Amino acid sequence: MKSLVGQGVARVDGRAKVTGAARYAADNELTGVLHGFLVMSTIARGELVEIDTRAALAHPGVVAVYTHADMPRLTLPAFPYNRRFIPMQDTRVHHNGQPVAYVLAQTLEQAQEAANLVKVRYRAEDPVTRLEDALNEAFLPLPFRDRANESIRGDAAAALARAEVRIDRTYGSPMQHHNPIEPHTTTAVWDGGTLTLYESAQGVILTRKAVSDAFRLAPGQVRIISPYLGGGFGAKGPTYPHTLLTAAAAQLAGRPVKLVLSRAQMYTSNGHRAEYRHHIQVGATRQGVLTAIADTSTAQVTRTDENVFNSSDSTIHLYACPNVHVRQMGVRLDLPTSSYMRSPETTAHFGLETALDELSHELGIDPVDLRVRNHTTVDQRTGRAYGGKHLLECYRTAAEAFGWARRDPRPGTTRDGDEYVGWGMATETHTYNWNESEARLVIGLDGRATLRAATQEIGTGTYTVLSQVVADGLGLPLDHVTTLLGDTTYPIASVSAGSATMPSLVGPASNAARSARAAVIALAVADPRSPLHGVPAEDVVIEAGRLYARGDRGRQDGYRDVMARHGRGVEVRGGGTNSPGRSFGAVFVEVRILPRLGRLRVTRVVTAHDLGRVLNHRTARGQVIGGVTWGIGFALMEHTMVDPNTARVVNPNLSTYLVPVCADTPSVEALFVDRPDPDSTAALGARGFGETPGTGVPAAIGNAIHHAIGRRLREVPFTQDKLL
Amino acid sequence: MRTFGYTVAGSPADAVRIAASTPESTFVAGGTDLLNLMRDGAEAHDHLIDVNHLDLGERVDAGSRRLRVGASARMRQVAEHPTVRREFPVLSEALLASASPQVRNMASIGGNLLQRTRCGYFRDSASPCNKRAPGSGCPAISGHNRGHAILGGGDQCIATHPSDLAVALVALDATVHLLGPGGERTVPVADFYLLPGSTPDLETAMRPGELITRVDVPRTALAGRSRYLKLRDRATFEFAVVSVAAALRTRGRVVQDVRLAFGGVGTRPWRDAGVEAALRGRPLTGQAIAEAGRLLVRDAEPREGNRFKVELVQRALVSILSDLGGLR
Repeated sequence: MKSLVGQGVARVDGRAKVTGAARYAADNELTGVLHGFLVMSTIARGELVEIDTRAALAHPGVVAVYTHADMPRLTLPAFPYNRRFIPMQDTRVHHNGQPVAYVLAQTLEQAQEAANLVKVRYRAEDPVTRLEDALNEAFLPLPFRDRANESIRGDAAAALARAEVRIDRTYGSPMQHHNPIEPHTTTAVWDGGTLTLYESAQGVILTRKAVSDAFRLAPGQVRIISPYLGGGFGAKGPTYPHTLLTAAAAQLAGRPVKLVLSRAQMYTSNGHRAEYRHHIQVGATRQGVLTAIADTSTAQVTRTDENVFNSSDSTIHLYACPNVHVRQMGVRLDLPTSSYMRSPETTAHFGLETALDELSHELGIDPVDLRVRNHTTVDQRTGRAYGGKHLLECYRTAAEAFGWARRDPRPGTTRDGDEYVGWGMATETHTYNWNESEARLVIGLDGRATLRAATQEIGTGTYTVLSQVVADGLGLPLDHVTTLLGDTTYPIASVSAGSATMPSLVGPASNAARSARAAVIALAVADPRSPLHGVPAEDVVIEAGRLYARGDRGRQDGYRDVMARHGRGVEVRGGGTNSPGRSFGAVFVEVRILPRLGRLRVTRVVTAHDLGRVLNHRTARGQVIGGVTWGIGFALMEHTMVDPNTARVVNPNLSTYLVPVCADTPSVEALFVDRPDPDSTAALGARGFGETPGTGVPAAIGNAIHHAIGRRLREVPFTQDKLL
Repeated sequence: MRTFGYTVAGSPADAVRIAASTPESTFVAGGTDLLNLMRDGAEAHDHLIDVNHLDLGERVDAGSRRLRVGASARMRQVAEHPTVRREFPVLSEALLASASPQVRNMASIGGNLLQRTRCGYFRDSASPCNKRAPGSGCPAISGHNRGHAILGGGDQCIATHPSDLAVALVALDATVHLLGPGGERTVPVADFYLLPGSTPDLETAMRPGELITRVDVPRTALAGRSRYLKLRDRATFEFAVVSVAAALRTRGRVVQDVRLAFGGVGTRPWRDAGVEAALRGRPLTGQAIAEAGRLLVRDAEPREGNRFKVELVQRALVSILSDLGGLR
């Protein structure tokens, strides 16, 4: 039987999603639920002096308006709670758009209107809002989650001093927001001492930890349910104040409470990608061999924390280079705590891959050739050889599909009518995580299988791919397998972040399937009523749900028959370890520019990726399209504008925070080097992939712009004023 | 959003009568802007009068001397109307360059003309804004002003008017028909929008309780030789950074007549008679266009974030006139 793994199997949850049958967190209609709405601070720094709730309380339908005076005292949880304070526990205001009051009403509209009626008086202090205003206070923050903010290999300064060629430039990217289409939402239900949260969460287990810590409950007293997410991109990985405040409000009110953040509130409530500057120095020989890289980043942190979320990983590991010095500096501003967003590598990667293009131009070496010359088969961080790294093949196949050999390297030489045509490329990479995970598999009396694991479907196809793995492992048709996710009553499993879902879950799912298959075969051959009775277990083969004796297909049984005779379900658990690893790729883009009007179009994108075994070509291609699209957004338009005086976000909506629309995004030719990774213990040689595509896109676009018109842009977004 | 009442008006007179007798009321058609403004707290109304079902005759009526566009016509209907496409290309192009197909299916012509600025400070009820809360100040002047005006502003307000349609109508000398408690009247669209001056909260010449019933556009040979050029930060579904509506008639190389209006650069849809006069009667050359462009921005007051518009709007002018005049 042809295996399902590796095929472009359509999403098993596709119909439910497009017909509205899939129940997202806010879709639950609970009896007696109250609707919450947050009142947010309108200053960035200072103290609450008075909160006048009288008008709000008098509003029809309003049940309560809570302030810091009412809230129960909560315990500040460690990460994944992503603030170093809990709002509404005291009078301090740490950033604009911080919750200061919580309104409960019978309807959402009543709660929202009453929230507008809450009058807050502050004692305001002057905020520091711009990176450029505090650069002289940049400092090296303490390690965050055991990762140091300085990394030294060899002696970069000395190597730079004697390098034959040097590039010394600064690359910048502004504050950006994740903008999942589904807003953050929490519905909290208390039942005695236990708490259930219907949540849009990338990690139900992580969320349970933050919530149980905050309320001093045992993990078993908290249940998080999150079967579907309408996108996350990192925004729903950590746990945020609104989740804790909603649980507290439900406790105070003694009734279930549902909260959905407004789009505007999502610009201050759930992290963002901080503004970054990367000062990058590259030293090389005339032959283009890298001798040194120094990368000092400066990013916004806050007065309450110093967490740097966008690590300069690419600088450390991507190329063979003996002398590397990475420093990740922080500057304290009166803004919300930032967070992981999409691929955290992107800010550093944009700088590094642009600097390499500058080096290739300086040396007259083709950008692909330059990267090939600095290719490494050894993990530069650990010194360990990669078991299966096929980046060179990615360069080769993508370059060939793109037609790179026809490129005239001289900038500004390729025209088509009024437009200048530019071709650029960059390497892509992402370090994926592995998190300890387990899966429970039950074969029911009907012979069908149900897999349960407390990981999530973030929109990438987890239900589908795990069902493929289980169906193959059991020898069942795909529609005889159901996968259930996003519930803390299921076995502990990975957060859906850092591209960790597949490397963490494929092993447990396939191990569980193997155990269950063996158990069912054992039942059959031991059962005198089975035609397979007495056949050695190793001589039983399974195809499409039927069990056959090898060499005698006349002797057969079925899952359903075996289970029905057995009269009890079979339940097994699967686990398995893996380790973090990397996926790689190359992206080639074509841009067309009309310089007199500053108009730019991305007209072609070709990618090739090395992601180990491709479990599902359709969902993998979906990841590439999504990653490339976000990469175009990063390069051309995304930009959160913060008012320099008040630190209020000026464009907190999808009408003025621009993300790419279809017309900005050409069709993407996505190629895959489809080879199992011997380093990945995820059975089948699968790797984490989701955040890999897109990491190189901003640099590839900038490099293409340089090729088109000879202008080097070092700060995104590349808006038309920069192309005039 | 404040709780509001809702009445469906049966006729224009009915709508105006209800408005006159209902305090804190306003009209709603497609609601594509109004409802967002109310949700964001940028506008508050106690009562909405639905004018989607008024009997205003044909929504698009191409008479021999003028094109009559009913206020409740949808953007899409007008953009796709065969006469509009053939004889008023600038109108069709400006509409198709606006918003998204979904919004164009909903949004009315009257509502389009009355949409409010996209200035983020105006739309954030917690920020000062002289337009929303007179006297409270204008943070855009020293804050984020990339989307703001370089022409027609002042120390009170530098917000741009976002309508592409209005820019095209200004270029075509359209008139706005109004019905109010005092009866019917018409206002040239060029006089319809007010400069902010010291009263940026007053945006149009409309009097309290008045309803836009239709827009008339003169049917001229010039209108048939018109184009709309829109420059923006993404390919579609985005407001103009700079736009130009142009109509040009030449004999030989000499400019017989020209109409120019600009979006994204002014506090109202911008038309400058001096710029047109500088081109009229002269051969259309690169130099003549460049001089006209310099004239256009002679009084420009750029700020940190929008300085590039001074150059960009001149280039846009060169581009559209060169195309229309066959210079390329």
